[in-house]
Amino acid sequence: MSRVVVTGLGVVSPYGVGVRPFWEGLSSGRCAIRPITLFETGGFRSRIAGEVPAPALDALAASRRRSRADRFGLAAAREAVVDAGLSRAEQAMAGVIVGGVGGGMLEAETWYWEMARSGEDPRRRPALRSILPSSHAEVVAHCLGLGGPKETVVMACSSGAASVALAADLIVDGIAPLMLAGGVDALTRICFMGFNALKLLDPDPCRPFDRDRRGMSLGEGAAFIVLEDWEHARGRGARPYAELLSSGLSTDAFHVTSPHPGADGVIRAITDSLARAGLPAGDVGYVNAHGTGTAQNDRTEALALGKVFGTAGLLMSANKSLIGHAMAAAGALEAVATVLTLRHGVIPPTANLDHPDPEIPFDCVPHTARPASVRVAMSNSFGFGGQNVSLIFRRWE
Amino acid sequence: MERKEVLDALRAILVTRLKFDPARTADITMETTLPKGLEGSLGLDSLDFIELSIAIEERFGIVIDESEDLAPHFQSMDALTRFISLKGAGP
Repeated sequence: MSRVVVTGLGVVSPYGVGVRPFWEGLSSGRCAIRPITLFETGGFRSRIAGEVPAPALDALAASRRRSRADRFGLAAAREAVVDAGLSRAEQAMAGVIVGGVGGGMLEAETWYWEMARSGEDPRRRPALRSILPSSHAEVVAHCLGLGGPKETVVMACSSGAASVALAADLIVDGIAPLMLAGGVDALTRICFMGFNALKLLDPDPCRPFDRDRRGMSLGEGAAFIVLEDWEHARGRGARPYAELLSSGLSTDAFHVTSPHPGADGVIRAITDSLARAGLPAGDVGYVNAHGTGTAQNDRTEALALGKVFGTAGLLMSANKSLIGHAMAAAGALEAVATVLTLRHGVIPPTANLDHPDPEIPFDCVPHTARPASVRVAMSNSFGFGGQNVSLIFRRWE
Repeated sequence: MERKEVLDALRAILVTRLKFDPARTADITMETTLPKGLEGSLGLDSLDFIELSIAIEERFGIVIDESEDLAPHFQSMDALTRFISLKGAGP
């Protein structure tokens, strides 16, 4: 059976454009969740998020008539392709799968509000061209000349992780030797207001696994991973970052927003991924948690991890405490973080974790990054509707 | 940037972004017209113009203001290269 390796990474995050600032930010434990500047937030319970800084976005050589999300996606995808050292001919063989949810909604909101208030068409109709989440995959494929299969995955907050899982399956099945997989999402008013209305947002930066956690923080960005058949990568002399050993996908089929109280679906995703990798649970040294900071998620996630791994010896941490929850991009950003954790032997911390919840009896690496020689790591993502994805990566040696 | 260089860059955009056959772009001159429906034009439709204008912004580092009437600037290569040069296109 084919082995699937990671040969390129690209990121746009609240730390700026690029994998380097992303890793420096995560491993320094510097929380990038701040007051939102992108739109009005007066009167809302939570007014903060992990926002991609304006100067970083302005520096991109992408037309401002593209949606904010498409600009994120294009920059991250370009970085991943350059990092992997792909030629134009190799790009023409590569497929692309992108997790998306918000699409170009931010620009559509602006267009609609201007029209509703002035009664006139604000002449920005091209903004509406990229409203669908499928726009990210179209723009990336078109601008980079990717000629393989192209798909968009809309699976709420696990979209980015699911795209990585599905892209690997296409490689294993021999459909394509090379895949660009990732997730893209920008902050939107509808997401901000919706999560505020659900009372799921913490007014302060989120504190996953903390006794006093009050909800999540929103975020935004994009991340892409170049996945490649190992024989193909070896043939062109590429050096992998890590191997993607397996994935597990499951659905709770339980409730539109609440996870299954017994963590049934989450446990199935985790155990399926272990079974497909042929690994005992004890081989996993680190879990990059979904860790949103909501009361329900963190409790359910800890329940599942405790049942599968026991509580002794497992290290885990939540990137969302540092960059917020980037929705469809989150699973892809965290997959990149997991690969870099294996590569550098450093676990990025869980920020804002002052009082660990006694119901979550794990070592969650509070505040400060920790050197740890991890060989196998898992990245978990869970979306509304009980859409669960576990990815298992192994250090490349 | 010289208008001749702008024209060469536009030929490249037609190939990479609008997927023109490279052989076809060799015949393009300043007199070549763009919009569909004109005799001997490149036959671009409204979606092609959106793609072309976004590609121009990204290639030349300029901003095209949509509230302007842009149709005259996209009528011919002569008009378009003049428009791009006046916007202060960089390499």
